[in-house]
Amino acid sequence: MNMQTTSRLTAAETALVEAFGAQIGELPGNGAVIGTRDRLLDELKKAGLPTRRIEAWHYTDLKNLLRSVPDVTLVSAIDAIAPLVEGSKVLSILQGTADAKAAVDGIDIALFKDRLADGSAAAGLTALDKDDAIGRINGSFVRDGYAITVPANTELEAPIELQALHAAGQVHTRFPVSFGAASKATIIERHRSVTEDAALVSSISDITLEDGADITWIILQTQGAADTHLGQIRVQLGTDAKLRLFVINAGGKLVRQELRIDVAGEGAELTLRGVNLLGAESHTDVTLVLGHNVPNTNSTEIIRNVVFDRANGVFQGMIRVAPDAQKTDAKMSCNTLLLTDDGGFSAKPELEIFADDVVCGHGATVADIESSHLFYLMARGVPENKARAMLVNAFVAEIVEELEEEKLVEALEGVISAWLEKHA
Amino acid sequence: MAAVQETIDQVRQIDVDQYKYGFETVIEVDKAPKGLSEDIIRFISAKKQEPEWMLEWRLDAYRRWLTMEEPTWARVEYPKIDFNDLYYYAAPKSTAGPKSLEEVDPELLRVYEKLGIPLREQEILAGVETPRVAVDAVFDSVSVVTTFKKELQKAGVIFMSISEAIREHPDLIKKYLGSVVPTSDNFYATLNAAVFTDGSFVFVPKGVRCPMELSTYFRINEKNTGQFERTLIIAEEGAYVSYLEGCTAPQRDENQLHAAVVELIALDDAEIKYSTVQNWYPGDAQGKGGIYNFVTKRGDCRGARSKISWTQVETGSAITWKYPSCILRGDDSRGEFYSIAVSNGYQQIDSGTKMIHLGKNTSSRIISKGISAGNSNNTYRGQVSINRRASNARNFTNCDSLLIGDQCGAHTVPYIDVKNASAQIEHEATTSKISEDQKFYVMQRGIPEEEAIALIVNGFVKDVIQQLPMEFAVEAQKLIGISLEGSVG
Repeated sequence: MNMQTTSRLTAAETALVEAFGAQIGELPGNGAVIGTRDRLLDELKKAGLPTRRIEAWHYTDLKNLLRSVPDVTLVSAIDAIAPLVEGSKVLSILQGTADAKAAVDGIDIALFKDRLADGSAAAGLTALDKDDAIGRINGSFVRDGYAITVPANTELEAPIELQALHAAGQVHTRFPVSFGAASKATIIERHRSVTEDAALVSSISDITLEDGADITWIILQTQGAADTHLGQIRVQLGTDAKLRLFVINAGGKLVRQELRIDVAGEGAELTLRGVNLLGAESHTDVTLVLGHNVPNTNSTEIIRNVVFDRANGVFQGMIRVAPDAQKTDAKMSCNTLLLTDDGGFSAKPELEIFADDVVCGHGATVADIESSHLFYLMARGVPENKARAMLVNAFVAEIVEELEEEKLVEALEGVISAWLEKHA
Repeated sequence: MAAVQETIDQVRQIDVDQYKYGFETVIEVDKAPKGLSEDIIRFISAKKQEPEWMLEWRLDAYRRWLTMEEPTWARVEYPKIDFNDLYYYAAPKSTAGPKSLEEVDPELLRVYEKLGIPLREQEILAGVETPRVAVDAVFDSVSVVTTFKKELQKAGVIFMSISEAIREHPDLIKKYLGSVVPTSDNFYATLNAAVFTDGSFVFVPKGVRCPMELSTYFRINEKNTGQFERTLIIAEEGAYVSYLEGCTAPQRDENQLHAAVVELIALDDAEIKYSTVQNWYPGDAQGKGGIYNFVTKRGDCRGARSKISWTQVETGSAITWKYPSCILRGDDSRGEFYSIAVSNGYQQIDSGTKMIHLGKNTSSRIISKGISAGNSNNTYRGQVSINRRASNARNFTNCDSLLIGDQCGAHTVPYIDVKNASAQIEHEATTSKISEDQKFYVMQRGIPEEEAIALIVNGFVKDVIQQLPMEFAVEAQKLIGISLEGSVG
């Protein structure tokens, strides 16, 4: 019923199809990979970019919002920058190309383009479902990234920073990362522009946590004000695995971050935290599909949004509890400070529950700054604009502080404060 | 709590899938031929002695409907409906405008007696304790009788079937019909506009507080018949009306279609309270038969300080697709939605509300309690939307689900769209089962398991039951008990 019969392609769709045609000869991949790419592009051509009629894209009408697609630019002189947290091991991807010399002691790092060339990446390239536009775009165009394996029982002292920098044009990257049993690590996935020129970035992180792995994964998206960022995080949690996933969006013009999480091992625990700072004319959509698929798993999700200017924010959060997933405990909350009448925020927190012995809940709020809080500060001599800034900062800093690692918290708070100073 | 004991007793008397109102009445009927076409619509319109403009309105809707597609976004599954395999008009013979109850077919009166619906005014008057309720009884496609018409007339209240209103008050109908749910609104509403056969019309003039509760009782009796009723309620400036709606149908193996449209209009300072106890035949324990209930209900708080409140108890129907909504257009207007949806067997419920905040200082409140048991699926789907100009809007939403058994599903799909910074929106939803602790606490005081569950469930839905008029509250509590029968253990 939801089949889209698109007779005419939009400018952006045409540009994507043409870009594919122009690159096909030089995109890395063996026969199987090329076959998959062809199929994905064909699906994209047939279905078109998703519109609001597709439920999963209800608030982000990509067909309408993605007006144009920049040309593919492969070569650009970009230098890696200092890591967010001092002492991190940096794995840079500059303009979509990974560093062949990248190495970190104790873990196995391969270039994703090599995985494409030998065909071992083919199976992972497929789209997740019929509405997976990001999977299709990324699978068609992906050139490089890192495939990382952290061996079992490995504990990484320093964080690893996946530093994705780009200037303009199109960048499509992928990061399959597998954490062995009982491994422990912190990964910072950073997407950042070095110019103000428009770029289209698609990036998929495919994360697997084996039994008992304990991982912190941070996504920091601070792209330019003209950029499109289509991100997708696929996660699979094994028995007793623990994942702390922090997603911070503070940039981009059109952003869609999809979090597709499969809690597949008993005793697994997910902590998801999100901070979305929205300004100018941006449109930012965070969409979570979280499946509790086995008994005795826990998750908590807290998303905080601040909306300024003419920005629009979206949070769609679906918690799905499978029929046998008894004793699931899942709590989700989405709080928004809407500080403008010219912007908007839409929330769609969903519960889909097929097991009876569960505790699931969600809460969503949208409001301006509480006037009594403002009064409290102003009564103590803090001028209004400063008081407002303090309250907004506190609203999101609270989330970041949960990370506990001092240097990391400080660095992220620095990013947030800088953004707020610029926009508030 | 006496009501709980009563519920339990009621439950005991009934087998697992016995539906109390499942009897069929053999009565002579007038039927239009099967199928849907412009001719059938002309036939219905002629039967109703409608003016030309009404026929045009219907035909226009029908032509639009032909171009529309059945919606598929709801979480309900059913075999494709063949809209040409239905009777769109079925009326008991000899009911062409009975002047008094004496002229009504006694067989029909017995139906309502059996259903416990008071149609004889003197009987109603004789009952000292029960408050008086004026009733419009709709049987298949026509309104059979409307009680207390004269007394209501004295107060200036018009309460009659919509067919009569089209003939007698064309100006009001022209002004308001389709002004809240336009003919092209959605697939089922458009179908309804083309083929609606009867329903109730209420008009409460300026400053009048309707002296009694108004009620419509819908009964589907004929086989393969769709019921398409249309209700229109208008409360002028400062008026108040409380309206109740009840419905039942015989037990049959095949599914039957019910696609109604209800429009409410509240002008300045007016208040409309609309309560529904929906108890259409839900199908048997294997999911065979039952009513497909595709209903569009919408209230328009057109005036300043107006208020519309929906209360619904949904226990029947094989499929429920229903979203009673409020358009808060007037400044300081208020919308409320209180719902209990109980599903058991193979029932599928996809229900909720929409609160569209357009005016300034508008507020809305949503309390939804879903209870799923057996193999049923129960979805709350709601939208709260705050327009850019709707400053100081307030919304509070609470939707809780309770699961009884591990074969059922409970789902929550709220949409929250805010475009004004001064809005304050709070939404919360929980899903859980009756905790062992709660059950143990009640049972160790000597209360048997089934009764303990009924007690806890009645506590769970208390917030909504409190919103129902007294006589409905008792019935609703009983219904919940019956619906959950067989789900314990």
